[in-house]
Amino acid sequence: MGIQEFITKFEQQLEDVEPGTITAATNYRELEEWDSMTSLVIIAMVDREYNKQISGNDIMNAATVEELYNIIAK
Amino acid sequence: MPESPFNLQEKTILITGASSGIGKQIAISIASMGAKVILVARNTEKLTNVKELLDGAGHIVLSLDITDEIAIAAAVDKIPPLDGIVHAAGILKLAPIKILDFNQLKQITETNYLAPVNLTRLLLNKKKIQSAASVVFLTSVNGVYTAVKGFGAYAGSKSALNSISKVMALEYASRKIRFNTIAPGMIKTEMYHEMIKQVSDESVKEDKLKYPLGDYGEPEDVANAAIFLLSAASKWITGTTLVVDGGLTII
Repeated sequence: MGIQEFITKFEQQLEDVEPGTITAATNYRELEEWDSMTSLVIIAMVDREYNKQISGNDIMNAATVEELYNIIAK
Repeated sequence: MPESPFNLQEKTILITGASSGIGKQIAISIASMGAKVILVARNTEKLTNVKELLDGAGHIVLSLDITDEIAIAAAVDKIPPLDGIVHAAGILKLAPIKILDFNQLKQITETNYLAPVNLTRLLLNKKKIQSAASVVFLTSVNGVYTAVKGFGAYAGSKSALNSISKVMALEYASRKIRFNTIAPGMIKTEMYHEMIKQVSDESVKEDKLKYPLGDYGEPEDVANAAIFLLSAASKWITGTTLVVDGGLTII
């Protein structure tokens, strides 16, 4: 598992971004489409793809995609 | 004191999902009312531990994966005639439609809907469910009365179970076999503790505010409803749903 793969999977869950616009430094909670549903989708995606259970708190505490990845890679 | 209509003396009752959570509590509670319990789940060790907690004697541990069609068909022959069944085995998984893949959909549907229906069907056909028996399906307010983002497959499976229970009630009414469901709101079980890890503390706090009676339910709250539906106290009740949700669905 690498961060690039995670970024791709993360981006696939979003509806309104051009492919390639999400980076490690993206502050995802500031995305226009980010809401509680996006948060649920990311939690469930991480569960299915990485078999890791992250919480809503993790999503709220991390700011960037990279910070979230670091929680999962732990 | 007159004999309580809620007692379960002389009744043999099979419970699936008996190794943990609501199923485990129902086993403990109905044994305390005099029932002889057949404990069904996958894990023998966990079931044996639950059996140790039960009042009375003659309880049976039956380790089975209820989604295993062949194992179930073979096991049914060995099951003694039943006065009641509680289908408490179930899985709850966060899977928004976007993430839900066909495998997850099949897994949730198999455990929550196909397995309890298939087991009931086999027991009926093998004449293992006696006249005046009571069958109880654990559903949920989620799917039957409410909808929650992220739990589509779960909601679908529970509402399917709710529907077929009523058809069974009609088809077996002449034999006085009753079919009812219990639809709990959020109950504090192991499954719940796993599930809330995925949501934020803030949203749990917010969610609890939706329950007029406050907090979330205890497994005992559901077990007491099961005692009622399994006992002669409910002998003229079939095809219904007993909602155990602290008032959640009033609003």
